[in-house]
Amino acid sequence: MSAARQLSLEVNGKRHNLQLDIRTTLLDALREHADLPGTKKGCDQGQCGACTVHVDGERVLSCLTLAAQVEGRQVTTIEGLQTADGVMHAVQTAFIEHDAFQCGYCTPGQIMSAIACIREGHAGTDDDIREYMSGNICRCGAYPHIVAAVRDAASRLKTERAL
Amino acid sequence: MTQNNAFELNRRTVMKLGVGAAAAATAGVNLSSEKALANNPAKSQSPALGARLSRAEGPLKVSGQARYAIEQKLENMAYGVTVQSTRPAGRIVSIDTSAAKALPGVVDVYTPQNALKLNKPTVYSKGGGATEEFTPLQDDVIRFNGMHIALVVAETFEQAMEAASLLKVEYEAGDAIVDFNDPKAKSQPIDAMAAAWGDAATALANAEVKVDVTYTTSREYNVPMEPHACIASWDNGKMTVWEPSQWVGGARRVVSDWLGIDIEDVRVISPYVGGGFGSKIGAHPHVGLACAASRKLGRPVKVSLTRPQTFTGLGGRPATRQNLSIGATKEGKIVSIVHESWNETAIDELHVEACNNVTKIMYATPNLSSRLNVVPVHTVQPGWKRAPGENPSAYALECAIDELAYALEMDPITLRLANWADIDPSSKLPWTTRQLREAYAAGADAIGWWKRNPKPRSMREGRELIGFGMASGAYPMLRTASEAKIVFHVSGQIEVLSGGTDIGTGTYTILAQTAADVLGVPAETVAVRLGDTILPRSALAGGSQQANNLTGAVDRAAKNARAALLSLAATDPKSPLAASKVTELTLENGRVRPTRRPSGGISIADLLKAVGRNTLEVEGNTFAPGASEEMKNGADRSFAQMKASLEGGVSAHSWCAQFVEVRVDEDFGTIRVKRMVAAFDSGRIFNPKLAESQWIGGMIMGLGQTLLEEGHVDQRDGRTVNANFADYAVPVNADVPGVQVISVGIPDFQASALGGKGVGEIGVVGVAPAIGNAVFHATGKRVRSLPITLEKLA
Ligand code: FES
Ligand code: FES
Repeated sequence: MSAARQLSLEVNGKRHNLQLDIRTTLLDALREHADLPGTKKGCDQGQCGACTVHVDGERVLSCLTLAAQVEGRQVTTIEGLQTADGVMHAVQTAFIEHDAFQCGYCTPGQIMSAIACIREGHAGTDDDIREYMSGNICRCGAYPHIVAAVRDAASRLKTERAL
Repeated sequence: MTQNNAFELNRRTVMKLGVGAAAAATAGVNLSSEKALANNPAKSQSPALGARLSRAEGPLKVSGQARYAIEQKLENMAYGVTVQSTRPAGRIVSIDTSAAKALPGVVDVYTPQNALKLNKPTVYSKGGGATEEFTPLQDDVIRFNGMHIALVVAETFEQAMEAASLLKVEYEAGDAIVDFNDPKAKSQPIDAMAAAWGDAATALANAEVKVDVTYTTSREYNVPMEPHACIASWDNGKMTVWEPSQWVGGARRVVSDWLGIDIEDVRVISPYVGGGFGSKIGAHPHVGLACAASRKLGRPVKVSLTRPQTFTGLGGRPATRQNLSIGATKEGKIVSIVHESWNETAIDELHVEACNNVTKIMYATPNLSSRLNVVPVHTVQPGWKRAPGENPSAYALECAIDELAYALEMDPITLRLANWADIDPSSKLPWTTRQLREAYAAGADAIGWWKRNPKPRSMREGRELIGFGMASGAYPMLRTASEAKIVFHVSGQIEVLSGGTDIGTGTYTILAQTAADVLGVPAETVAVRLGDTILPRSALAGGSQQANNLTGAVDRAAKNARAALLSLAATDPKSPLAASKVTELTLENGRVRPTRRPSGGISIADLLKAVGRNTLEVEGNTFAPGASEEMKNGADRSFAQMKASLEGGVSAHSWCAQFVEVRVDEDFGTIRVKRMVAAFDSGRIFNPKLAESQWIGGMIMGLGQTLLEEGHVDQRDGRTVNANFADYAVPVNADVPGVQVISVGIPDFQASALGGKGVGEIGVVGVAPAIGNAVFHATGKRVRSLPITLEKLA
């Protein structure tokens, strides 16, 4: 049983018409079919956070989500964070400034989680950030810098919003 | 002498010994070689190298644009999934593939009965590039639970996964030795790695004070976030492999071995690597399967190990056991160290965890004996995990020294200083640099060591017991000569080329900095290309050597490039500066100008345009003059040219002092690390921002090793029970406290061309004993096995 099916996914505001095995996860649809490999596969079993994307603005693990489940919903991946003229999201620039990564493999997932974490109001204290960013493993051990980057980005975003 | 007096005395001694470093402690991480270099006129002109530049490839990594090995888009690619044995020993009688083959989309199923031909690769210890000899599907023998016994290839990943689940394997049972505690296990001595001087046994027997202890560590796994996977593409007699690799030259050699083809017909590409920590030095057997399948099918094949498969598709650090006895005088002078270690290895292969690497060099002892043994068991061939050897070596030694300190009622730092080794006690050679006293001073000051009450179980806050612990460590300098190339483009672009890879260590950035310094251009304008066997030859990104190898090579290439530019400007008739002599020209701020005329001159791009060239390519290397092609190839695809820590009649190492504060819940026995502080002597630091990240990452990996990480083996069938990220726990953000790192290194030009020493591995050395010692200080309980879990504290 591996019936293929035509799926229409909206990723980063762009429509992708894909012929997919009905068992294809959102993660594999992005990486293997939509040529969007920015979202990473670290475990394929919901344990590491590397595959975190936003579906209708909320963080989800794309390895535990079937592509078919997101039809009609808006998917945002790491490739979709920059503005049309290439301006990075505050979390992206904060990650660079604070050196919040080394190998960079967990980074797209960390950034997608961080944006959601700030949006959810869970970036108020360092302990909060540590707790709500703990679904994303970083084997390079960039954690202290990830906390610094999220804290910094959160306050920058707050200031921007206040202005 | 009472303990308190000892502390006070020691505090003063340490402060005196390491005044500069103590000042560094208060300044925190900002003190680095930048300041050290200010005192070194030879290098004080350097604006780029030593600067805290952000990671050059950062913008690509934070935007998802950095394409890792298996993220290449290839036409007509098939997907391969391996099937692993569920028995630890015995034989495969048959594998029924009919159900799998009947599925739509399945291309083929390879098993020992329908094998893909692979030759045995030459392992590094025999002059090759492989880390294991094991070659899957070539016979019916089961060597360990979780070894590859089949490869299923299908049009899609989903089809391959389903088909892989349908193989019916019939086994003939065999007798397994599941781990090194198995009564059937037999150890074998590794005499070549033993060490001995004096008469250790007699001196120990006569010692006034002794500790006599056994320390063990569990199976640990590197588990980089990017799983081991590759794309192999056979085209017209040539093989291209996109493989996350710490060593493309080694992988290339192994692929040519496996396939029996000329090495010139193999290309390995590894643009970005999602972590390795030693586990991506060798191309592992699944890569061989991918290559052979691609050759057979004439199309690209992608093989990705699933996360659980990575636990047995390649090995992590083997379990170790160390017996360690230290004898000392009542005053705390060590008189003897007697050491013996055992580590697991594969049933028919040899992996030695060099558990005496730190033991034999840390302290001045007149007598020492150390023996290493391996214990063959039915396991995947173990591999290298960050600071292989040094890490367990420092664990046992530095815990035992802490035990000795308590036995003597002496402060642990005082005891260490009392046994300071003025020269390398093992080789009797002088150290190059050893800023270890400075490290003790800086770390102690930063954590508030002298304010602790040394009595175990004497400090608390509410229900939490507070513990302070420290330990030190070393990592040897390895070095391999390498090449690099600088390319000037008429567009103005400057490129640095090297086959070395950036595994998250900052190679892209520091090589741009190195070239920028010599060429007098901003580092941001230099583009670095790495990780491809068509680029200049480089040794592995492993053994903490690559930064030093490649900055040395790029420095030479850039100096040659500068000379080549000046000569082009002076000698090419079409050059506007053709009237000048080479000696009268200067390259500054990216312009060639007459030395006496500070303004004017011509940009590099305009010079190329004027003389009608699109590019100017200039090489440089750190090989001895007259090195043969064979030697240069040996540096890039074997360990033949690698120089160890004693090269040149001196003993070169990185050093560290680790300090931690732990909190132990008195009721539950849960251990939380509250603070970690470490001072490192890694020599000259090429980019403090990136070096600090590596040190911190190493320390956090050490935290995981100490409190969380343990591979569990099912005693019935040798299965790795917890082969996933939920059950093999590694540190997450909430486990990690504030971490402070301090650089106390000074440029060491005996250690490397530009004065750096190793950074990548020293961070993890000494963390486990520092935490173990802190747990003892907090609780009064000495746990002598890793990980230190709450049931062991109960
Ligand atoms: S890949 Fe989805 S959680 Fe790890
Ligand atoms: S940056 Fe390498 S895993 Fe996080």
